[in-house]
Amino acid sequence: MAQITLSGVKKIYPGGVEAVKGVDLEIAEGEFVVFVGPSGCGKSTLLRMIAGLETVSQGEIRIGDRVVNNVEPADRDIAMVFQNYALYPHMSVRQNLSYGLKNRKMPKEEITRRIDDTARILQITDYLDRKPRALSGGQRQRVAMGRAIVRDPAAFLFDEPLSNLDAKLRLHMRGEIKHLHRRLATTSVYVTHDQLEAMTLADKLVVLNGGRIEQVGKPLDLYRRPASVFVAGFLGAPAMNLLDAHVDGGALHVGDVQILQGVAAQGPVIAGLRPEDVHARVQPGGAFRLEFVEELGGMRLLHGSVEGQRLIIQSPLQAEVGPEMALQIAPEALHLFNVADGMRITNAVRQAPEAADATG
Amino acid sequence: MVENRPFLTFLAHLVMVLGVLFVAFPVWIAFVASTHEPGTFLSGVVPMLPGKAGWETYRQILFSGVSASGAPPIWLMMKNSLIMALSITVGKITISILSAFAIVYFRFPFRVAAFWLIFITLMLPVEVRIVPTFKVVADLGMLNSYAGLSIPLIASATATFLFRQFFLTIPDELAEAARIDGASPMKFFRDMVLPLSRTNIAALFVILFIYGWNQYVWPMLITTDPDHYTLVMGIKRMVAVADSDPQWNYVMASVVLAMLPPVLVVVGMQRLFVKGLVEQEK
Repeated sequence: MAQITLSGVKKIYPGGVEAVKGVDLEIAEGEFVVFVGPSGCGKSTLLRMIAGLETVSQGEIRIGDRVVNNVEPADRDIAMVFQNYALYPHMSVRQNLSYGLKNRKMPKEEITRRIDDTARILQITDYLDRKPRALSGGQRQRVAMGRAIVRDPAAFLFDEPLSNLDAKLRLHMRGEIKHLHRRLATTSVYVTHDQLEAMTLADKLVVLNGGRIEQVGKPLDLYRRPASVFVAGFLGAPAMNLLDAHVDGGALHVGDVQILQGVAAQGPVIAGLRPEDVHARVQPGGAFRLEFVEELGGMRLLHGSVEGQRLIIQSPLQAEVGPEMALQIAPEALHLFNVADGMRITNAVRQAPEAADATG
Repeated sequence: MVENRPFLTFLAHLVMVLGVLFVAFPVWIAFVASTHEPGTFLSGVVPMLPGKAGWETYRQILFSGVSASGAPPIWLMMKNSLIMALSITVGKITISILSAFAIVYFRFPFRVAAFWLIFITLMLPVEVRIVPTFKVVADLGMLNSYAGLSIPLIASATATFLFRQFFLTIPDELAEAARIDGASPMKFFRDMVLPLSRTNIAALFVILFIYGWNQYVWPMLITTDPDHYTLVMGIKRMVAVADSDPQWNYVMASVVLAMLPPVLVVVGMQRLFVKGLVEQEK
C-alpha cells in the first residue's frame, strides 16, 4: 500500500497533441480515487501513465516515495484491471492468476495459497480450471480482478472495468468493488465515464476535462458545490439545468421572468438548478411550459421550458401536473457561474429570505 | 440459404460426385498403371483394374531404383524431399513469425519500411530471380547440398504477412497485461503469442510443406549428384529417358508414393488446419 503523487504531469504525443496538460494530485494511502470525464479528457492516459504503459512527457509520478517515471510497469508494484479484461485466452483461470506470480519467482506453496484466498474472496473457486472462453462476462470480470488482487500490489488501477457488462451486472459488480475495497483497503485509481459509478465508488472524485483537472473532492461536495459549469453539468442524472440568466438589482431573471431575489451578483450569469431542487405547482400563466412527462416509477420528470430555455424538474408522484406551472426555488439551491470562464460565483446568495415566487 | 427441394439436392450431389470423379480418376489410373507390367500401358488398351505386378514394381523402385534412367532408389529421394520440405517449412515459419513479431510489437526506425521491403519480395518468387539466386548459391558452394536446396526458398513474405495480420488482431491489452505481470518481450512471445498462433502455425505448416515438397525447378537446377535428387525431379528424370520408352509402371509408382507424404500431413493436421483457416481463438 502506498500513496501516489502526481506533480505537473503532462502527456504530449508526437505531433504536439497535449492529452494531459499538467496534473497535480495527491492520492492518499488506501484511498479510492475515481477519474471521471467525457471521452478524450485524458483520464485513461493519466491512468496508463501511472501504470507505466505510457511515458510521462513532463512532470513526476511517485508511488510511495519512489519516482517511477522510468520504472517498468512490472516493477511499479501496481496491478491493472482492463476494460476488456485482457485475460490470457489459452490459459485456465488458475494459470491466469498465477502467471504474474510465477514471473516474480514466488514459491509454489505461496502461489497456491494466494490463489485459493483470492478465489474464495471472489467466489471463483469452482471455475479455477476453466478457460476464460467458458466464463460469462461477470465471471471474466471477477477473474480480471482476481489477477490484480492475487498480486497484493501497492495500488489497483481500474480502466473502465465495468463498461462491458450489462446494466444489472454493472450495478452488482459496482457494489462488489466497493465491498472489496473496504475489505482490502488498497489504494485504488478508477477510471470511468459513468458519473453515477464515479459518485458511488469514490472516496475522492477527480473530474477531468480537456486534459486538466476541473475539480477534486468528495463526491457529495462536488455535487453540492460544483466549481464550474462543466462539473455542474457532468455530475448528476438528470443533469443540472443550466440557464442563461442575468442579475439586476439583486434579482435573478431568466428572460423577463424573475426567478429569485437576494442574489449578490451583477450582470449576465449562468444559473444552475438541480432538477430535484426546483418545485413547480400548477398555475395558469406560470413561467414553466410543460412539454412532456417522463415516468420513472418512483417519481416523474417534467420536461419543459422557461422563456424558451429547457428545464427539467423532478416531481413527486402525488404532485399535480399542468401545462403551465409556477416555479419555486430555495435560494440555497441556486448555483451561479460566470459567463466568461464558467467558474462558480461564490457567496452568490446573500441570505435566505422567504422563497420567492416566480410568476410570469 | 437453406432450400429443401429434392431435385436441387440431387443436382448438388450429382455435381459433387462428378467433381470427385474428375479429380480422382487420374489418380486411380496412375495407381492402376503402377501395378501392371511395363508394356501394358503402351499397348493402347488402358486397363481399369489393378494388375499383378504391383508388389514387384514398388519393391524395386523403393530399394534399388530404376537403373535405366539413372534414378536412385525412391526411399533416398523421399528422404531428400522430406529434408528439403521440412527445412523450408520450419525455416519459413520460424523466421516469419519472429519478423512479424518484431514488426507488430516493437517500435524501431524504418519499421514500416522493413515491412514493405519484406512484402515486396512477394512479387519476386524464386522463378523470377532464378539466375542471380543460382549465382549466389553457386558462389557460396552450396550446390548439391541440403542447404542449397532449402535456404533460398525459405525467404518469403507470405508467412510474415499472415502472422502480421494475425498479431494485429490480438488485443493490445493482452500485451500490456503481460507487461504488468512481469513478462519480458520474449517471454510474452513464448507464453502468449506462440500458443495463440498454434492454429495459424498448423495451417501454414501444411501449406508450406506441400509447397516445399512440390518444388521442381529449383532442385533440378542445383543438384547434379543423384544423392541429392528429390522425388519430384526424380520422376521427371524417369520420364525423360534416352533412346527408349519410359517405364510407365515405375513412373506411376513413384507418383503414387510422392503423393503420400503431403496426404499424410494434410490428414494429420486437418483438424488444426481447418480451425486455423476458419476461426481464431481469442
